[in-house]
Amino acid sequence: MNPHAKLVFTMSLVMGTSITISSNHWILAWTGLEINTLAIIPLISKSHHPRAIEATIKYFLTQSAASALILFSSLTNAWFTGQWDITQLNHPTSCLVLTTAIAIKLGLVPFHFWFPEVLQGSSMITALLLSTLMKLPPITLLLITSQSLDPSMLTFLAISSALIGGWMGLNQTQTRKILAFSSISHLGWMIVVITYNPNLTFLTFTLYVVMTTTVFLSLNQIKVLKLSTMLISWTKTPTLNASMMLTLLSLAGLPPLTGFMPKWLIIQELTKQEMTPTATIITLLSLLGLFFYLRLAYHSTITLPPNSSNHMKLWRINKTPNTPTAILSALSTSLLPLSPLIITMF
Amino acid sequence: MTYFVIFLGICFMLGVLAVASNPSPYYGVLGLVLASVVGCGWLVSLGVSFISLVLFMVYLGGMLVVFVYSVSLAADPYPQAWGDWRVVGYGLGFVLVVCVGVFLAGFVDFWKVMVVTVDSGGMSLVRLDFSGVAMFYSCGAGLFLVAGWGLLLVLFVVLELVRGLSRGAIRAV
Repeated sequence: MNPHAKLVFTMSLVMGTSITISSNHWILAWTGLEINTLAIIPLISKSHHPRAIEATIKYFLTQSAASALILFSSLTNAWFTGQWDITQLNHPTSCLVLTTAIAIKLGLVPFHFWFPEVLQGSSMITALLLSTLMKLPPITLLLITSQSLDPSMLTFLAISSALIGGWMGLNQTQTRKILAFSSISHLGWMIVVITYNPNLTFLTFTLYVVMTTTVFLSLNQIKVLKLSTMLISWTKTPTLNASMMLTLLSLAGLPPLTGFMPKWLIIQELTKQEMTPTATIITLLSLLGLFFYLRLAYHSTITLPPNSSNHMKLWRINKTPNTPTAILSALSTSLLPLSPLIITMF
Repeated sequence: MTYFVIFLGICFMLGVLAVASNPSPYYGVLGLVLASVVGCGWLVSLGVSFISLVLFMVYLGGMLVVFVYSVSLAADPYPQAWGDWRVVGYGLGFVLVVCVGVFLAGFVDFWKVMVVTVDSGGMSLVRLDFSGVAMFYSCGAGLFLVAGWGLLLVLFVVLELVRGLSRGAIRAV
């Protein structure tokens, strides 16, 4: 792509995100979301492959419908209460429509159908942007309005997202689709606690961004797009594969790694709010995800893949140092002992 | 006057129905023209005449005309027409959606129609729409820059998407 055009699109992504997260008027929030949607469209369709074009169209249609719903919710709230403040979204119809709109934007079940296909149609870095940066403005809007939203609807969205994210990820062989379903189930964990302690939602989101950026960057470095490629990827970068195993287990939420921290704190908060069945159900549903994370971890560290005995081992290795992956990989495996400090930061 | 405004509202819904149940874009744009003309009339009845004129000129006279020109360049010789069973299906879906929306919005006694207007707190010297546009150029300059950047971004996005002829995103050309 033309570098000037690419600069315009990436600057617009940053600008749109900043506009939405710093706004307190609904029109400005909607403007930022629309700028984000427009700017990422050419980035998804960059390779001009038919699958990429289809992913672009699916992304555009779903996000535009969700933006229109956000506009409707803010307009009905302005009609009934006379003001446009994001924190004062009080009318029940507006809250319901907004919850639906943000669920479509984030990819929560039952509005998740676009997400795996859009991620599969885009390149690995664009998929990373779609999973992390494009989720920040809708999560911010949900955090700001969380006190007036319906807890039972949000709990339903959360538990079904954890269920579908874990269950549908089991049959996938393409790594981008696996990461899409992992994103859906992590969003479920974020949403389950938002009406009780929104700080925990933001903590979960931040740690999820750190861990999933590590996985995306690692997969991008070894150019692994499906599981069969991952089986023979250890010869390219043995250390990266070993650290990717730890990062994947951290995403799964295993103790002593970072990913355990949000799950632990969310279960504690739900138990304090007398929501023990919810906490039990969502913990059991994250076991489904654990299976495909374990499968990915196994594939990344296996040294004798079940190929034919004369499969060629890659011997041309170019070890380019990759600092962001290294830093994020360290963060995503070793932050659990710092939990008291991190809790005070949110 | 009330009945005229209600007639405008009914024509708007019929226009949107035509857009939603169109068998092909060439017939859908007819519904869009009807909906925008009648929508401009409805805006005049609400009092914001400047916005109505701007919508008429820019949307109807600019965007719809350009759409019709570009679509006529790429028209297929035998498009689907209105006498198709798909139109009935889409129309029924649209009516269902409207009924659900009316019910959810709380206007369950929708046979009692009325016309509401907005006024600038009773002071008819201050025109809401015109002074809003004036504020867009004075204290709302930041939002003006954002809107201008958004339009420039749309230009870049469209140019990037249609670049490359048959090797680009739209392979039919």
